[in-house]
Amino acid sequence: MPDLPVKKSLSVDHLLGVNDLTLEDIEIIFSTADNFKEIINRPIRKVPTLRDITIANLFFEESTRTRVSFELAEKRLSADIINFSASSSSVKKGETLLDTVRNILAMKVEMIVIRHSSPGAPHFLARHINSRVVNAGDGTHEHPTQGLLDAYSIREKLGSVKDKKVAIIGDILHSRVALSNIFCLRKLGAEVTVCGPPTLIPKFIDSLGVSVEYNLRKTLQWCDVANVLRIQLERQNIRYFPSLREYTMLFGINREILDSLDKEVIIMHPGPINRGIELSSDVADSGQSIILDQVENGVAIRMAVLYLLAGRIGYSDANAQPS
Amino acid sequence: MDTLLVRSARIIDRNSPFHNKKADVLIEGGVIKEIGKKIQNITAKEYESDNLHVSPGWFDMQVHFCDPGYEYKEDILSGIEAAAAGGFTGVACMPSTLPPLHNKSGIEYVVNKARGAPVDVFPVGAITHKLEGKEINEMYDMHRSGAIAFSDDKNPVQDAGVLIRALLYVKTIGCPLLLHCEDKSISNNGDINEGVVNVFLGLRATPPLSEEIMVARNIQLAGYAGSRIHFGTISSGQSVELIAAARKTGIGLSAGIAAHQIALDETHLTSFSTDLKVNPPLRTGKDIRVLKKALAENIIDVICSDHTPEDTESKMREFDTAAFGITGLETLFALCTTFLGGTLSVTEIIDKIAVNPRKILNLEVPVISEGKKANCTFFDPARKWTFKTTDIRSKSRNTPFINREFTGKPLAIYNNGIFRRGGE
Repeated sequence: MPDLPVKKSLSVDHLLGVNDLTLEDIEIIFSTADNFKEIINRPIRKVPTLRDITIANLFFEESTRTRVSFELAEKRLSADIINFSASSSSVKKGETLLDTVRNILAMKVEMIVIRHSSPGAPHFLARHINSRVVNAGDGTHEHPTQGLLDAYSIREKLGSVKDKKVAIIGDILHSRVALSNIFCLRKLGAEVTVCGPPTLIPKFIDSLGVSVEYNLRKTLQWCDVANVLRIQLERQNIRYFPSLREYTMLFGINREILDSLDKEVIIMHPGPINRGIELSSDVADSGQSIILDQVENGVAIRMAVLYLLAGRIGYSDANAQPS
Repeated sequence: MDTLLVRSARIIDRNSPFHNKKADVLIEGGVIKEIGKKIQNITAKEYESDNLHVSPGWFDMQVHFCDPGYEYKEDILSGIEAAAAGGFTGVACMPSTLPPLHNKSGIEYVVNKARGAPVDVFPVGAITHKLEGKEINEMYDMHRSGAIAFSDDKNPVQDAGVLIRALLYVKTIGCPLLLHCEDKSISNNGDINEGVVNVFLGLRATPPLSEEIMVARNIQLAGYAGSRIHFGTISSGQSVELIAAARKTGIGLSAGIAAHQIALDETHLTSFSTDLKVNPPLRTGKDIRVLKKALAENIIDVICSDHTPEDTESKMREFDTAAFGITGLETLFALCTTFLGGTLSVTEIIDKIAVNPRKILNLEVPVISEGKKANCTFFDPARKWTFKTTDIRSKSRNTPFINREFTGKPLAIYNNGIFRRGGE
């Protein structure tokens, strides 16, 4: 029987966003993930922890790696899994989110992992059902497990996050990864600069305690870690920059620009990478990149989150309001 | 017709010789027969209430009755009930119906359906065909049928050339154009105000600039055309500055705000509550302070409800696909007395919700005076009460104010010979 992490309690019933977490919550998640990371590297990688728990993965938006990562985490914890994928077109044709909610209520699942294109969709679910809700990305709002695993990967690589200089580069306006990263890194005491085309940086981003820089080279020279975001053309209803070609000229990271710096910057990317656009292949696959560590840590972080929230099942059902 | 003897009411009416005096009011045959102390009349129904006040009947300058087309949200009769419960004896209803009120038959439909009600319903005709902002409608024909003003409501005319032609053309009629100021190329389907809150919530943002730039443009266009315009629901502090400057030049400009804009700011949105999704969006505390000052300085003339009923299916859903709007008829007065207590006197509130709207729309302002038609609202500006779902007469319930405690309550109306009491 493997050793299970000592369960400490989170201050929240759901993981809707990193913004809702306290510093202590983040530290509990990280130390729990440390234990799980050790467990999943053993010959027997599965623990029976969530054996009586049913988790529904509701993916209203395309996803491969986040869905697979959650599924793997759930399987490692021995949970029963229901997968529900709906492309946006089939949702348009028929079922509203509210109907889905009612169906889930009838199925009596204990936990829900939801990805949805609308900001606040997981919050909507959490208000109307008794199950624990994990946000796996809500539109342009948050992607909390990604924010957590990115900070966790920095902590693993550099020993701690506090006082580290982290640059987030790319489309900040449409990126839930950017927002969750900023919340998480700021809570942990990192300095954060966002860098990208001015049309893709929210006007009031400085209210989050971050700096704004439009010059890639200056940003890279400043930072210890560069978290490079995917250009998400699917979330842009109008043209924010003239062409991908010009975007790459201004904000693409390649070997040449990294070699021109007098330091070695750690490169991160939440995936999937547009190779040759935001990152060149020789950078993505280099020793400076910790992109594959992020993927592995993603499973450990998601196991930790599911495990800790499962501990709160039945904890506050009296407060939930069924519709 | 209801004969009514109102006992000991304080009269709030600048145009009445009884302004600020307490008196009995006898209404017979729809007309104010007598105002005085201890009036004797055995046949009349008597009405009295604690701290009773009476003013000229209130007028809501911007409501949506959704009829025809969206009767499941509101229809003209349920809208009238909501207006009466809110203390209103007159409303101007906006043309965004299906089809829009963009021709004579649409206008006549509203007029005929509201005939004989205790609330006068005045339709606002659409400026352009199907509210598309391209071709101007037969405004003269609609005006003859009862349209008192013209507006493209929340689909404001984007093309300046089209609006100039509408502004020039409407001079033959003398009606104002009611303009919602929003440059759609800047607001870009934004859900909430651009600011700190939108960064935290990741929702699409509407910068105040999208309003301000249209306020500035529309002032220029109205000045050029020499026509009258009214901005129905101003939300940004900077817009107020533009309006204040323009008013000094003497152009025909008036302005209003929706009552919820002074009660709520963007920080209330953190729970993704769709009942707070409105257009124009809730702005900042700073904007609210400027709006209040502008009300006190008469830069803003009117407070309306922008009553926008929405069914559950349109509201109980994801924030970015939910409909805009709050039902406001039943809470407008309470919002004014609760949130503008230190800013406006009761008389000044009555100016904004009864007198000024009628002046702007070329309607006769009722007077509480002997021999005049009885068109009045009874209220208690100090009464404490809690707004409950059971108070709602509208078909829709999209209001953030349920279970909210208020100071100030409408009690009853008398208009067109009909006395209608609300819940006391």
